[in-house]
Amino acid sequence: MLMVNQGEKVKIKVKVNGVLYERYVSPRMLLVDFLREELGLTGTKIGCDTTTCGACTVILNGKSVKSCTLFAVQADGAEITTIEGLSVDSKLHPIQEAFKENFALQCGFCTPGMIMQTYFLLKENPNPSEEEVRDGLHGNICRCTGYQNIVKAVLDAARRLRT
Amino acid sequence: MSYVGKPIKRLYDDKFVTGKSTYVDDIRIPALYAGFVRSTYPHAIIKRIDIRDALKVNGIVAVFTAKEINPLLKGGIRPWPTYIDIRSFRYSERKAFPNNKVKYVGEPVAIVLGQDKYSVRDAIDKVVVDYEPLKPVTKMEEAEKDQVIIHEELKTNISYKIPFKAGEVDKAFNEADKVVRVEAINERLIPNPMEPRGIVARYEAGTLSVWYSTQVPHYMRSEFSRILGIPESKIKVSMPDVGGAFGAKVHLMPEELAVVASSVILGRPVRWTATRSEEMLASEARHNVFTGEVAVKRDGTILGIKGKLLLDLGAYITVTAGIQPLIIPMMIPGPYKIRNLDIESVAVYTNTPPITMYRGASRPEATYIIERIMSTVADELGLDDVSIREKNLVTELPYANPFGLRYDSGDYVGLLREGVKRLGYYELKKWAEEERKKGHRVGVGLAYYLEICSFGPWEYAEVRVDERGDVLVITGTTPHGQGTETAIAQIVADALQIDISRVRVIWGDTDTVAASMGTYGSRSVTIGGSAAIKVAEKILDKMKRIAASTWNVDVQEVQYEKGEFKLRSDPSKRMSWDDVANIAYRSHDPGLVEKIIYENDVTFPYGVHIATVEVDDTGIARVLEYRAYDDIGNVVNPALAEAQIHGGGVQAVGQALYEQALLNENGQLIVTYADYYVPTAVEVPKFTSIFADQYHPSNYPTGSKGVGEAALIVGPAVIIRALEDAVGARFTKTPTTPEEIMKAIMSKR
Repeated sequence: MLMVNQGEKVKIKVKVNGVLYERYVSPRMLLVDFLREELGLTGTKIGCDTTTCGACTVILNGKSVKSCTLFAVQADGAEITTIEGLSVDSKLHPIQEAFKENFALQCGFCTPGMIMQTYFLLKENPNPSEEEVRDGLHGNICRCTGYQNIVKAVLDAARRLRT
Repeated sequence: MSYVGKPIKRLYDDKFVTGKSTYVDDIRIPALYAGFVRSTYPHAIIKRIDIRDALKVNGIVAVFTAKEINPLLKGGIRPWPTYIDIRSFRYSERKAFPNNKVKYVGEPVAIVLGQDKYSVRDAIDKVVVDYEPLKPVTKMEEAEKDQVIIHEELKTNISYKIPFKAGEVDKAFNEADKVVRVEAINERLIPNPMEPRGIVARYEAGTLSVWYSTQVPHYMRSEFSRILGIPESKIKVSMPDVGGAFGAKVHLMPEELAVVASSVILGRPVRWTATRSEEMLASEARHNVFTGEVAVKRDGTILGIKGKLLLDLGAYITVTAGIQPLIIPMMIPGPYKIRNLDIESVAVYTNTPPITMYRGASRPEATYIIERIMSTVADELGLDDVSIREKNLVTELPYANPFGLRYDSGDYVGLLREGVKRLGYYELKKWAEEERKKGHRVGVGLAYYLEICSFGPWEYAEVRVDERGDVLVITGTTPHGQGTETAIAQIVADALQIDISRVRVIWGDTDTVAASMGTYGSRSVTIGGSAAIKVAEKILDKMKRIAASTWNVDVQEVQYEKGEFKLRSDPSKRMSWDDVANIAYRSHDPGLVEKIIYENDVTFPYGVHIATVEVDDTGIARVLEYRAYDDIGNVVNPALAEAQIHGGGVQAVGQALYEQALLNENGQLIVTYADYYVPTAVEVPKFTSIFADQYHPSNYPTGSKGVGEAALIVGPAVIIRALEDAVGARFTKTPTTPEEIMKAIMSKR
């Protein structure tokens, strides 16, 4: 167990989108605040700060997590991918293309979390049924689209990634 | 080249799918963080606020209360005079903090300012407020009795009480074969856009810059000016990307006034982003009860309606709450030729969080009331849902409704007949009947709506053509997810006959946009798009004149087609779009810039929607399918329009079955975001959306009407009707919860 005195910071090392960061953080700092405030990676959004909406979803050591529900210190030694790390060489990732093509976003606030959750979902299950897609996204809330076009986009992305 | 009418892809999605979107909380600027101390009582005298311990917290810069903030404010929050007759309401303008009395649980009483949000959180807990509790009144029906007065200076809790009378109601009831009682209740909702409210204010050298998650930057600039006494010329309000609003971001909150005032006092930038729990207190919506009687003939003809509409305002009047008591009664006759009405509209204060508007704002309520009337009367007379409506629909348009609203165009009966056919209503009815025989609790519901939308009085548009011929469109509308910018680009590209990739659309910054009303009430494509057409015509005219003067001919001699200006008399003389743009840029004239204020007013889309609902053995209902057939006038981009039906439809599912801002006896919100139940991907239906081929255009140049709110306007009535069909019982409320459904199922056993 890590013992920290009040007001003291803890050194952590994390790799985010392939870049290594060593920082001193307050032990109560949430991972999402670390990403946004410390690293300036504001693509990850805060929609509810209570693990409900999924706007803050990132990939941590290969699994999707809601970054408002982890402390930055818990990510010590981890590899993280955020929405900013998904496209390579300014070329959109097939999931990003599919979201664009299928009108799968409106206000765009849930989109980074939706896309990261989709990324995880399709890694686990490259050929999901519509029901599996809906189930896989049910921790991510969208208030604009009614989900139909998001589900369409995820199925389209699965096809794009398989070929 | 033609873009209008096609599902053109949204133009600016890249930043959203790559995480480069910039909402107000994403703006990086060295600012103090703000947080709020909130009342724990629904109604209490503030005896003392002790901030000493809070100031000892590391990084805390200041704590301000009413004493410091309110004297800076020359006015307060008041209803929106553009759409609300403010003299018909009793209210006091609301300052940032109450001077001596709190009026709801969660009301802010002090602002804490510090260097990071964690220390602000700590300091909030260290502010000690002594209260002397008073008896609260949290129910509308109790508040109306005036035994506990919330605003002493008003001497009553009744803010608004106006009878809406038309025709001869007594005669209608005397001639009735039957009188049917109808009740229609909309519980309290929360719009809950994904992005919570947020603001950054920077005051320096007499100039105020505000980055603000708002739908109405120009209106907010004028409100900041009026309230803070800073000239508008020294205020800039910028609307960054806005993560959904649904009407909730038309209103100005006391927290936001406190943030701006703190920035003025400290001379430093200050920022505040609401937590989800704060967002859930900031914008609550609906909450009204209609009780009435309907005079009917045996054949289903509705002769008249009388009743009372009671609406909750919460503890204070907001910018938008006044819209509901004004517009609901006028739209109760809806698409039907009912001429005799007597509806008393009463809005009261209660010790609860203030009410604001939410997608549809008054039209969902009016539609729910009239469609409950139609369905209930059909049941009482043994008629079906289609024929009762056919019997009463307005048949000749234009039509002046009994309260003076002029319905512009359409074929209401024709649409119903066609819609029922295209959506497969009777097939679904038969399917449900068969399924019920097998023991499946499924049902089909139908409802009709007439919507008043595209509210005026005007909208602004500007077009600039640069030296290379590329086009910048500045719109006064303020899209925040709808994709209106893409629709406007389509419209302008068509009007100028150029490639859409040459058109960029911007909005939302008061320094860039000369004037603006904004985006709300399903108006943007119609009034904003029409303004864009008009200004594009002016630009084209100017370019023809430039071509004419270059050739030294009369302007009538110049023809324009597909990017080329030609001389009528000598077709070999041509100049490209780019050449004319370049000539204009190099001339002494300031170039190709045209601006317009385009004036127009409301139009009336309409449609019929149906839904199928399944109820399980525990009373939990699910909407399986939702189908819509709408005449929204000319459809500029069918994919964007359909997306509005999906989004509104899911909010209708939430309103009808799941969502409720539950308050306890102290008026305290007792649901969190998790158990407020915004529908997720697993609770939503499959959508089918059809737009009428034989549409009836509005009188706007776009020919469009509006679609942003349609599915949430009619959806709750559709789904409740389907639920009645599934369970075989009458329901009056949104939401109808599993407990209520279970009770109905049990009582039938």
